[in-house]
Amino acid sequence: MEIRDIFQYEVGKKSRFSSEFQGLCAQIIIDKEDMAQLKMNGGQNVWLENDVGKVVVTARRTEDESHPGLGFMTNRLWSNQLVRVDGVGCLIPEFKAIKVRVSGSNKGVTKLSELLERMRR
Amino acid sequence: MLCEDIEVALKVGAIEKSKNLCRKGQGHFQALFTERTVPCIEGIETSEEKAIAKAAEILRDADSPLFYGWSNSSLEAQKTGIELAKKLESKIDDTSSFCQGILLERVLKGTLPSCALDDVRNFADVSVFWGSDPSNSHPRHLSRFSYYPRGSKRQKGYDQDRNCVVIDVRKSSTSKLCSNYLRIPPGSDAELIEALLAIQDGKMPRFGEKKRIIELATILKKAEFGVIFPGLGLIYSLTNKMEIFDGFLAKLNAISNYKVIPMGGHYNTRGFNELMLNETGYINQVSFKNGMHHGPENDVINAAKSCDVCVVVGSDPLSALPFETAHSLAKSKLIAIDPRKSLTTEAASVVIPSAMYGLEAGGTAIRMDGLKISFEPIIESDLLSDEELLRRIIEAV
Repeated sequence: MEIRDIFQYEVGKKSRFSSEFQGLCAQIIIDKEDMAQLKMNGGQNVWLENDVGKVVVTARRTEDESHPGLGFMTNRLWSNQLVRVDGVGCLIPEFKAIKVRVSGSNKGVTKLSELLERMRR
Repeated sequence: MLCEDIEVALKVGAIEKSKNLCRKGQGHFQALFTERTVPCIEGIETSEEKAIAKAAEILRDADSPLFYGWSNSSLEAQKTGIELAKKLESKIDDTSSFCQGILLERVLKGTLPSCALDDVRNFADVSVFWGSDPSNSHPRHLSRFSYYPRGSKRQKGYDQDRNCVVIDVRKSSTSKLCSNYLRIPPGSDAELIEALLAIQDGKMPRFGEKKRIIELATILKKAEFGVIFPGLGLIYSLTNKMEIFDGFLAKLNAISNYKVIPMGGHYNTRGFNELMLNETGYINQVSFKNGMHHGPENDVINAAKSCDVCVVVGSDPLSALPFETAHSLAKSKLIAIDPRKSLTTEAASVVIPSAMYGLEAGGTAIRMDGLKISFEPIIESDLLSDEELLRRIIEAV
């Protein structure tokens, strides 16, 4: 599910291409129980994958109330790799309900340059 | 939120001191000094004059141009953009198409009652943030208008005079500040509305934690002046069932006084929607090809699949839209008018730098509540505004 984050917004206003901004975009907040199932504590990278696309981001553990099965990302290029368009109409409800498989990854976070390259292909 | 009470002292390359700037505002002002665009054709730096001429040439040869963006630009630029789209018989759409448009249209056409944010500050005793999180999206909303300020009829302070309700699928930053937080499962907003309506009819709700929902219904019922601030969480959950929300508002207004102010995320989305409504009878998704047509085939998601040229003003669709749409736009000939580098300017065939509104250029915009706000430039700049650049293109096509 996509959310807003003021820290990401502020950094993004200053620089869309900085590693700090990319770090704030390329992450998913995952529930503690789900993290335990993935055998992770937070800070490790995960594959997010569905039939629309796939991307590697950093997993962060929720510090507030539990929300098993539900992850949160900010709206940017990384989350948008996974948003379905066909058959949903202009409101794109999948912005708020993106279904993905999550698995551990030993790869680095997908770089902005790689995502730009995908777009140009 | 077009805050008009900001005081800033600038020094070379940085903000020296500021008053009333939120984090978003800090980012906006600091953007003056970083990642500015230069005129480019196919990635090669050129002059502004040549970039404008190339944009005009591309548009003259275009079969199916699309004009998109507009939410972060002035009313004057939006008006000029609509004029250019008409002249070229193009499609035109804005970010509201996949954001707040469905609610804004209801407000602009009078289907949903609305009010000014100043009325919220002076009279509202219940503010409901439904699927919205102003602490992250509109940081000064609570302090200036909807929760913390004292108003003419709300003199006792927020803890005695106001109730703030957050309905969300998660414990958002705003929910931690407000007096009432109801968590609901994703996509269950329609069921919540039905439960609240059932309570009003004297029935037991068949949804969620009954006690909490009855408490919420009581708060809503007792309000003297309530305002609902819907965010994308509510809009995407209801999608094509928005009439349920209309009915809910009508029912609330039968027993109290409720208004709706959609939480538009960009500073002038409402401005574009108002201009388009006055000009065409529709708020977005219009084609001027062989007359004037409206429909989802003209929204950015569908139009991106068939356009051969896309002019982007006041937006970064390659960053904000789903990959498939961004990919389609990147494959078309993109003309980006933008003061700052973005993914869209990176992929654009032509980049034309513009002055930043409110900092380097003056103009007007319509705030989320319908108030027209004028702004003056605070520093001198040689850069032309979006409006001036679009005017030059109109003259050249």
